[in-house]
Amino acid sequence: MTGRPGPEPHLQPTAPSRQGDTMDTLHPTEPGVPTPDAVATLATGPTDAPGPTNAPGAATEAGHGVSRRRFLGLAGGAALVAGVGTWSGRVLAPEQVASAADAPANLYLAGTDGWIHLPPTPAIPPYHPDPLAPAGLTTYVFGFRNVTGMTTTQRLAQKNKAQHSAPLFWVDQYDPNAHNEFRVQLTNLGLALRPDLFDAHTLHWHGFRNVIPFFDGEPTGSVSVPAGREFTYVYRPRDPGTYMFHCHVEDVEHVHMGMTGLVFVRPLQDGQSKTYQGRTYTKFLYNDGDGSTGHDREFAMFLSEVWAEAHWADAHIQLPEWSDYRADFALLNGRVYPDTIEPNGPSVDAFHTESGVTFDASGDLIPPAGRPDLQYQPNSSLVRCNSGERVALRFANLGFREAAMTTSGIRMRVVGRDATPMRGRDGTDTSYETETLNIGPGESYDVVFTAPARTGSGAYDTYYLYNRAFNRSNNLAPGGFGGQATEIRVYASGVGPQGYPNDWGN
Amino acid sequence: MSLTPRLRRRGASLRRVLAAATVTALGAVGAAVVQGAPATADATPRNGIVCTSGGSAPGNPVFDLTTRTGYIDLPDGNTAYMWGYSSGFDPFQHPGPVLCVHEGDTVTVILHNTLEDPTSIVFPGMDDVRADGVASQPQVDGAGLVTSLAPGAAALTGTTTYTFTASRPGTYLYESGTNPEKQVRMGLFGALVVRPTLGDDYAYDSADSRFNPTEEFMVLLSEIDPYQHQAAEAHKSFNLNNYKPRYWLINGRGYPDSIADNGASWLPNQPYGSLATVKPYDPVTHPLSGLARYLSVGSEDYPFHPHGNNGLVVGRDGHPLKSPSGGDLSMEKFAINIGPGQTWDVLFKWFDAEGYSPSNPVTVTVPSLANQVVGTFYSGSPYLGSTQALPPGVQTLNQCGEYYIISHNHALYQITSWGVTMTGPITYMRIEPPAPNTCG
Repeated sequence: MTGRPGPEPHLQPTAPSRQGDTMDTLHPTEPGVPTPDAVATLATGPTDAPGPTNAPGAATEAGHGVSRRRFLGLAGGAALVAGVGTWSGRVLAPEQVASAADAPANLYLAGTDGWIHLPPTPAIPPYHPDPLAPAGLTTYVFGFRNVTGMTTTQRLAQKNKAQHSAPLFWVDQYDPNAHNEFRVQLTNLGLALRPDLFDAHTLHWHGFRNVIPFFDGEPTGSVSVPAGREFTYVYRPRDPGTYMFHCHVEDVEHVHMGMTGLVFVRPLQDGQSKTYQGRTYTKFLYNDGDGSTGHDREFAMFLSEVWAEAHWADAHIQLPEWSDYRADFALLNGRVYPDTIEPNGPSVDAFHTESGVTFDASGDLIPPAGRPDLQYQPNSSLVRCNSGERVALRFANLGFREAAMTTSGIRMRVVGRDATPMRGRDGTDTSYETETLNIGPGESYDVVFTAPARTGSGAYDTYYLYNRAFNRSNNLAPGGFGGQATEIRVYASGVGPQGYPNDWGN
Repeated sequence: MSLTPRLRRRGASLRRVLAAATVTALGAVGAAVVQGAPATADATPRNGIVCTSGGSAPGNPVFDLTTRTGYIDLPDGNTAYMWGYSSGFDPFQHPGPVLCVHEGDTVTVILHNTLEDPTSIVFPGMDDVRADGVASQPQVDGAGLVTSLAPGAAALTGTTTYTFTASRPGTYLYESGTNPEKQVRMGLFGALVVRPTLGDDYAYDSADSRFNPTEEFMVLLSEIDPYQHQAAEAHKSFNLNNYKPRYWLINGRGYPDSIADNGASWLPNQPYGSLATVKPYDPVTHPLSGLARYLSVGSEDYPFHPHGNNGLVVGRDGHPLKSPSGGDLSMEKFAINIGPGQTWDVLFKWFDAEGYSPSNPVTVTVPSLANQVVGTFYSGSPYLGSTQALPPGVQTLNQCGEYYIISHNHALYQITSWGVTMTGPITYMRIEPPAPNTCG
């Protein structure tokens, strides 16, 4: 939260943007006088065409009009600050018009607040379930949403509809010949429940090497995005592997409140055919040269935690004492077991965005089948695979505690860590096998395992993947798994190829 | 906690940043605070590790360490009562002096105790440590209970002389071996650096551990439960079952004090800053990495996260990451997950992979700063060495278009100070623009 008193960090004479009342297309080089550019843009603004699958198109777009009152308000504000100091830039700038002049964003994220569902019993009075929560939901969060391909009206309607974990996305390694930059546009929809705060948001790609502060998202060394504004981050990811991302404004709070997710970079080697230990792969975790990181299917496993008191405090205009931190709930891809094995929501393929298909007519998330209470937790963690397949698990931890992720009955080979293949500088192989992976806060691991032969008589064999710090693999209730746990279901055959990461492959 | 006190305290810490910046801008570097015979403080650089050398006898460094009591400043405006080792017979400082020796040296450390408790020193990682000439081993009382991990010095006036041969290069802790659950937490710890025979600009005796000696940094991480310190000051017992850290520190300071210069005058007892001022990597003009020596005296893992670069971990606990046959086991990491009592030696460098500059601009329209929240250290320009005017009313501490890239503990509740967020073990890399620049 940023509710500190003092001067506004930027002179902003107008009220925060409201739905349908956007200033984005204003071009106030001549205060109060709409320029030909602005008029032209108003008349012809970019279209809202959603991009094709896996090749996202324009995520930017112009608003649909500026009221006369708003025009006058802006003009007055601009006049007010004119001649103050040495600032020669424009105090009000038409960001979205400017962005539209650039290459279109590949992904458009929005930061806002919202609510998610965690098991309401046993309760943690007075914090959990939160009495302010809408029906079926329990816990106040801050979070991101994928608003790619939405109309302005749909996008602005996502205020108070954050999801956790954040939209999973993935990027092809940068190829200087193809110049395949990856552009993420970020907007800040504000916090519906806390209008007293004027928190900015950023996108920090955690672990991205050799980045300039401008694209790092750490707000002290660069800039951050206030409510109603935009910023586009441009990435040329040169190092394949698993990363994570989060808002870095008020880091302690915004991370814990849920503005966290997983991102990974596919290697240039993808698409080549390499045979390793008798099996041929075309998808890999790294540019290994020998197929040793090849896999048949892949699953992101994003670890986060919820301290009920801290989430309650933000909803109730209170402050937690962070040194009292505890993880009441430990989450896997934003859910706790057994919710982790419920289906993916239709939004999980971040690069397939389509009104009425991946989000509803208002822009809201469409819940996973049969689970309306998981509307804002779309990411499944269920691993489905066929015997003999090589499965990649991509772990990242943005909780505040070390996790000990254990597979019972399956050995994992650790082939990457912190987006780095397990090789010494001289090529020495440092990969290793384990059944328990200790993952510290801010760490990532890439592992592969080979699905064992079927031994059971049911439709599939079940193996558990769980945090063996047992107080984080339950849901506060005695007995049974919960929390940071999921299932690996091994079929004899018949699990189809994945359409996107974490896809069940029907 | 109500909103008001936190806001007030946050305001206080911001003022402190501004004060720090003012002094930095004036170039007022505090006087060297570690000195005294026979050990000698090296010339104190503004940033980077501050070595204390053990006198002039080659191969036989001698350090006098005196236990002192004193107070340190914390980021929320609080102070903490501490115990500490001072160099020679100097006044209290926290943490203890950084003892720098060479591989093969016969090291002598003379402990002078002024505390009301007996105390001792252990040197984890050093072999065959002797105390007053006999093997330094755990001490037991008549009932067979351990009273100390090493022979020690009696309360108030005791003296013990420890000797050992620094046989292996690396980064080590030295700390109290007597009631360490109290004495180490009260501040009786420091860093010991053993430089390899190969040269002072190597971490280990291997060519691939070379670093730029102007970019050598200490990252010593610790924690404080103020109630334990209060109890010690009041000569009361403290129930260790109630131990709960409320402060976490880097080199004995919390952010924003952490980025003040070494020897900053307003932190008289906390001489060690942690701002990492570096130049961008350049294969011709600046080819060598910097070296960060991480140490932890905490009770749980500190997952430290440097932004913008992956550290190359080349050693841990005084052992180079090499296989028995010499294979390289070093690892690049963006999370330096340092456990209690561990030390990690990490080579790091930073460069802009894209070489952005005004003539090779970012491929996005730079938004008007009036539409963004401008960070305290932002120059107004995306480009290293460039500055831009900021909107009316916006202030910056940026001097010459330098970059600031954060490093911090990623168990984020640990970057708070008893309620004040964004403090504690946070520091920055300060990337200097290539010469010529206007940084002064």
